[in-house]
Amino acid sequence: MLISHQWLSDYVDVRLGPQKLAEELSMLGLEVAKVEDQRKRFKDFVVGEVVEKQKHPNADRLSICTVNVGKEMLQIICGAPNVEFGQKVPVALVGATIPQNQHDPEGCPFVLTPVKIRGVESKGMICSEYELGLGDDADGILVLDSSAKVGMPLAKHFGQTDVLYELEITANRGDWLSYFGVAREVAALTNRRMHKPKVRLRESATQTASVANVKILDRARCPRYSARVLRGVRVGPSPEWMQSRLRSVGLRPINNIVDTTNYVMLETGQPLHAFDYDTLAGHAIVVKTAAEGETFTTLDGNERTLTSDVLMICDAERSVAVAGVMGGMNSEISDATTNVLLESACFNPSAVRRAARLLGLSTDASQRFERGTDIDMTIYALDRVAELLQNIAGAEVLKGCIDVYPKKRKLLKLKLRTSRFNEILGMSLTQAQIKSYLNRLELQCSSSGKDAVLVVIPTFRNDLHAEIDLIEEVARMHGYDNIETALRGEVQFSTESASVSIDDELRPLCIGAGFHEILTNSLVDGRTAALAGGNAIQILNPVSVDMAFLRTTLIPGALQVVRRNYSYGQKDLRLFEIGNVFRVEGAGTIRSFDSVHQEERLLLLMTGNLMPPLYSVEQRKVDFFDLKGVVVSLLSKFSLDKGCFISYDRHSPLSERNLSIEINGTYVGLLGSIKKSVLQHFEIEEDVFVCELSTHVLKKHWKRERTFRPLPRFPVVVRDLAFSVGTTVPQAAVEQAIWESGGPMLAKVTLFDVFTGAQVGEGKKSLAYSIEFQPTKRTLTVHDVDMLVVQIVEQVKRACGATLRSS
Amino acid sequence: MLEQIEQTKQQFLSDLDAAEDAAALERVRVAYLARKGYLAQLFDELKNVPVAEKPTIGKALNELRTLATRRFEERKQALIQSGVETTSAEDLTLPGRPLPLGTKHPITRTIEEIRSIFTWMGFTVATGPEVETDYYNFESLNFPPDHPARDMQDTFFITKDILLRTHTSPVQIRVMERQNPPVRVIIPGRVFRNEAVSARSHVIFHQIEGLYVDTGVTFSELKGTLVSFAKQFYGSGVKYKFRPTFFPFTEPSADMYISCFLCGGKGCRVCKQAGWLEILGSGMVHPNVLRSGGYNPETVSGYAFGMGIERIAMLRYGIDDIRLFFENDLRFLSQF
Repeated sequence: MLISHQWLSDYVDVRLGPQKLAEELSMLGLEVAKVEDQRKRFKDFVVGEVVEKQKHPNADRLSICTVNVGKEMLQIICGAPNVEFGQKVPVALVGATIPQNQHDPEGCPFVLTPVKIRGVESKGMICSEYELGLGDDADGILVLDSSAKVGMPLAKHFGQTDVLYELEITANRGDWLSYFGVAREVAALTNRRMHKPKVRLRESATQTASVANVKILDRARCPRYSARVLRGVRVGPSPEWMQSRLRSVGLRPINNIVDTTNYVMLETGQPLHAFDYDTLAGHAIVVKTAAEGETFTTLDGNERTLTSDVLMICDAERSVAVAGVMGGMNSEISDATTNVLLESACFNPSAVRRAARLLGLSTDASQRFERGTDIDMTIYALDRVAELLQNIAGAEVLKGCIDVYPKKRKLLKLKLRTSRFNEILGMSLTQAQIKSYLNRLELQCSSSGKDAVLVVIPTFRNDLHAEIDLIEEVARMHGYDNIETALRGEVQFSTESASVSIDDELRPLCIGAGFHEILTNSLVDGRTAALAGGNAIQILNPVSVDMAFLRTTLIPGALQVVRRNYSYGQKDLRLFEIGNVFRVEGAGTIRSFDSVHQEERLLLLMTGNLMPPLYSVEQRKVDFFDLKGVVVSLLSKFSLDKGCFISYDRHSPLSERNLSIEINGTYVGLLGSIKKSVLQHFEIEEDVFVCELSTHVLKKHWKRERTFRPLPRFPVVVRDLAFSVGTTVPQAAVEQAIWESGGPMLAKVTLFDVFTGAQVGEGKKSLAYSIEFQPTKRTLTVHDVDMLVVQIVEQVKRACGATLRSS
Repeated sequence: MLEQIEQTKQQFLSDLDAAEDAAALERVRVAYLARKGYLAQLFDELKNVPVAEKPTIGKALNELRTLATRRFEERKQALIQSGVETTSAEDLTLPGRPLPLGTKHPITRTIEEIRSIFTWMGFTVATGPEVETDYYNFESLNFPPDHPARDMQDTFFITKDILLRTHTSPVQIRVMERQNPPVRVIIPGRVFRNEAVSARSHVIFHQIEGLYVDTGVTFSELKGTLVSFAKQFYGSGVKYKFRPTFFPFTEPSADMYISCFLCGGKGCRVCKQAGWLEILGSGMVHPNVLRSGGYNPETVSGYAFGMGIERIAMLRYGIDDIRLFFENDLRFLSQF
C-alpha cells in the first residue's frame, strides 16, 4: 500500500525526514519497502515549447521539431501525430531514464542517448503519458497546459513535491490499510497524537429514514450496516486535489462520487459503496445470503454464479452488491445519477474472504474487510463522505443516518502482567514503562493490582485478542534491538538419544563412489506419473500441468537430469538422490491422511563410460554389474551383508533385467536397466542402470554396533578352481554349492573369470573361482586343503552338473 | 670361468663407483643386474661348465650376485643420502589418473552446515512428512480457517484437508505431541508453495526450522542463540538487527537481518543497496501453538525460528537463479 507523506501530514505531525521515518516505522514492524521521493522523479525532464516543426525529408510520419527548453534549442525527431507548433510539451533530455519504453513489449525503462533517425540528429524526446509512466495513453505526446513555464523541471510543473512510502502490511494489521492507522503508528513513534478531521455537515430537513430502509437478515455476517442518502448530486470529475491524491497512491480517478468513497476509504479504512438510489427497488437495502446458483453481474462486467455461502446486499427485489467485495452493474453510479445511497457497513472477515475467494476477486474493500474493520468507524466515514460530496458535488445531505446495529459490540478488556512480560522477554521493565508504551498506542490502561495492567482494546485494533498480543506491542515499542541477548549458561544436551540419520551415512559413501547428489522436483506431469505406474497422488490446484502429480519413484526425475546433461554433451553420469516418494495407499482415492503413503528412497543411477578417456586405461561402458557391485559394497558398509538379490519376474514399468534386493527377507528395492521405450521417452541413447532402495528399510536392518573380531594368526590359503557347467546354470548356484561344502574355514569366494567358447565346448561355460580358506586353530597342510577342495568339487558336480576344468 | 667372474666383479665395482647420478646408476643396473645383463649371461654359461666345477663356479657366481646386489643398493642409498636423484628417467608430467569423486548438492551442504552449528548448541534433528494435514500445517499453528494469514503461503491441496506442507513448522507440533519439554530440535526439510517458477522462486524449496521449549525460555535467549549462529555461520564481525513482524505461530515475532557480507553494509546489488540482508524469521512460540502441542503456556515458553535454505545458499555462493538447484546440471553441481 502506498502512503503519501503530504496526505499523511493531514492527520499527524510527522517531524521525521522520509528516510528516518521509513527506517523507524520498519523497526516498529510497519515495513516500508520503498521510499519514493517524487522531487527526484523526472530527473532530466523539463517543460519545452515546440518553436518549429518540419516534415522529416526521409520519413512520412516523422517531424523534425525545434524545441525551446529554456537554456537551449534542441532538434528533436518526433513520431507523434499530434505534435504541433507552439505546444508546451514534456521533454526528456539526453541522459534521462524514460520510465516506460513504448517500443518494448515489457515497457522496460531505457536511458536516452542522442541518435540519428533516418539521417537526422535527435537530441531529446518529447514524451507520451505512457512513456512518463503517468498513464496508458501511448498514441501521442502529452500536451501540457499553455501556461506551463518553459525550462521548468517537469516534476515541479506537475506539482510533484511529495514523498511516497510503499508499505508491506502484515496479515494481522487491517488498521494499517488506512491513513488513520498509519498516522496512529507514526504518532506512537514520535509520542504525539493523531487527529481525525472534524466533520461539518449541513443536513436538510428530510429524514434519511423516511426515504430508505435497511434490514439485516444475517446478523452474524453483517453486525452493522449504516447508510445515508444524498440528493441532487452533480456527477462530474472530482477536484484536482482529490484526483492528484488518489493518483499518487495508484488509484484512477473516476467521478466525484466514486472518488470520494475511495478517498474516505483510504483515509479511514472503512470501505464504502455508493448505490444509485433511484435504481434501488423500494429504496430498500436487505442484507442476506445469496440463493444457491443465483447469477449476478458485478461492476467489472462479469456475470458470476453465487452460492448460499455468499452474503449479498439486495434491494426489495434483487441483489445489488456482493457484500464487502464488489457492487453490481444494476445499481452503479452513472453520469445520470442524482440521488445516492451510501453504504458504510461492517462485515464478518471470514465471510468476506470466502466470498472473495469463491469469486476469485480481491478488491480494496475485500482486503480491508478480510483483515477486520473498525465497527465504530461506519458513521464517521459516512459523515465524511457526505461532507465532501456536499462541498464538491453540491449534494443535499438528508437528516441523520440509518444505523442498523443490533448487538452493540462490547469492548474487550485484556490483562497484561508485568511479570509475564518480563518472563517472556527476559527483561525487567516496570509497570509504569509498560503503561507508557501502551498509552502511546492509544491503548487505554489502568493498573489492576501491583503486577497487572488492564487494557481496554479499542475497536480499531482487531488484532489484539490475548495477553501475548499486548506483550508484543510493548516489546516492539521498546525496540527489539534494546533487548539484551543472552544464552543459557550451560548447554543442555538433549536427553533423547540422538537418532543418527542413515542419510548422513549414505551420502559420503555415494559421493566416494563417484556419484553426484541431485535434488529433483517432487512434482511431475501426468504422463510421467502414468509412465511410472502406481497410484500417483494428484494435486487439486497445480501451478501447471507439468507439475500436477507427486512422484511415485525417483527414477523419472533422475532420467530428466540425464537428458539435461546430455544436451550439453555430458553422457558419463553417476547420480544419486535421497528424497520422498508418494502414492495412494491401497487402491483408489484418498479418503484420509492415512491413505497417503510417503517414504524416503535412495536412487543410484549409472550411465555412459566407466572412466573418462585416459591414457593406458581401457575404455568401456558401465554395465548392470558395475551398479550391482556398488550396491553390494554400499550394503556391506551397513553390515547388511545379508542383502541378497533375487531375480524379479514381476512387471516393472520403467526397467527390465530387474533384480529385487532383499535384506533378511524384507524387500528393499529394485535394481535394473531402464527399458528402451522409456529411454526413448526421455531422448536418451545410452543404457541407463538404476537402483532404488527404501532408506526406511535399510535403516531398520542397519547394524550400527560393531564387535571386534581378533585378527587371524594363521596364513590364508588360496586355491583357484575352474568349473565347466551348462550355460543355463546360474553362477549363484555354483557359488552356493561351494559355500555349502567348503567347511567352516572357507572365508571368501571370488569369481575371477567367466568365458564360453571352443575350449569349454558347445553349451558350456567356464567359471573360475579363487577360494580362500582362513584357518583359525593351526596352519593348514597341503593335505588339509586338498581334502576340502575334493569336498567342494564333489558338491559342485552334484548340485550343478559341473566338471572340474583345472585346479 | 672364475677369472671371468673376478673380472666382471672388478669392472662392476669400478663402474658402480663411477656412477654419479640416477641415470648412470640405472645404466649400471641394466648392464649388470638386469635380466639380460652380464651376471645373467654368466649364469647362462653355467650350463656349459663341466659338472665337477659346477659347485665352485656356482658358488662364486652366487657370491658375485649377492655382492653386486648389495653394493648396488649401498651405492643407490649413498646417492639418495647425498641428494642425487635416483629414479629412472620416466616422464613424470604424465597426468595422474583421477579417482572420480561425487559431490554433495549445495542445498544439502548448506543444510548440514547450519544443522551442525545448532547441533553443537544442543539441538537434535527431527523430521516430518511432506504431505500434511491442514490441521498440522495451519490450524494447530494458529492460522484460523479463512484468515488472510493463509495468503502468506500459497498452498497445493490434495484434498480439502490434505496438502503439501508450506513450511517445516508442522513438525513443531508433531515433536511436541510425542515429547515432553524440554524440547530442543532443528527441523530441516522440503516445502512447497503454489507459485510461478522464476529465477527468484520455485514450487519446491527447503527450510530449516528450530524449536526450543522449556521453563523460562525468553526472547532474550532467542536473540542470543540466533546471534551466536549468525556469528558462527557468517563470521564473528557480522552486525545484526531484529525487526518486528507477523507470523501466526509466534508472538512476539521478529525478522533477523545481518549486515551484507558482500559489501559490509555499504549497499550493493546483493542486498539491493540496503546494506542489510534478511536471513530468518523467528519469535516466541505463540501460546495457542504450545496448547496445540499439549503444553501449558503458563508453565513453559519457547522460541522458534526458520530460514529458507535456497536463499541462504544463493547469497552464500552468489547464485542468481534458484532453478539451478533443481536442474542438476553437472557443470553446476561439480562446483561444490
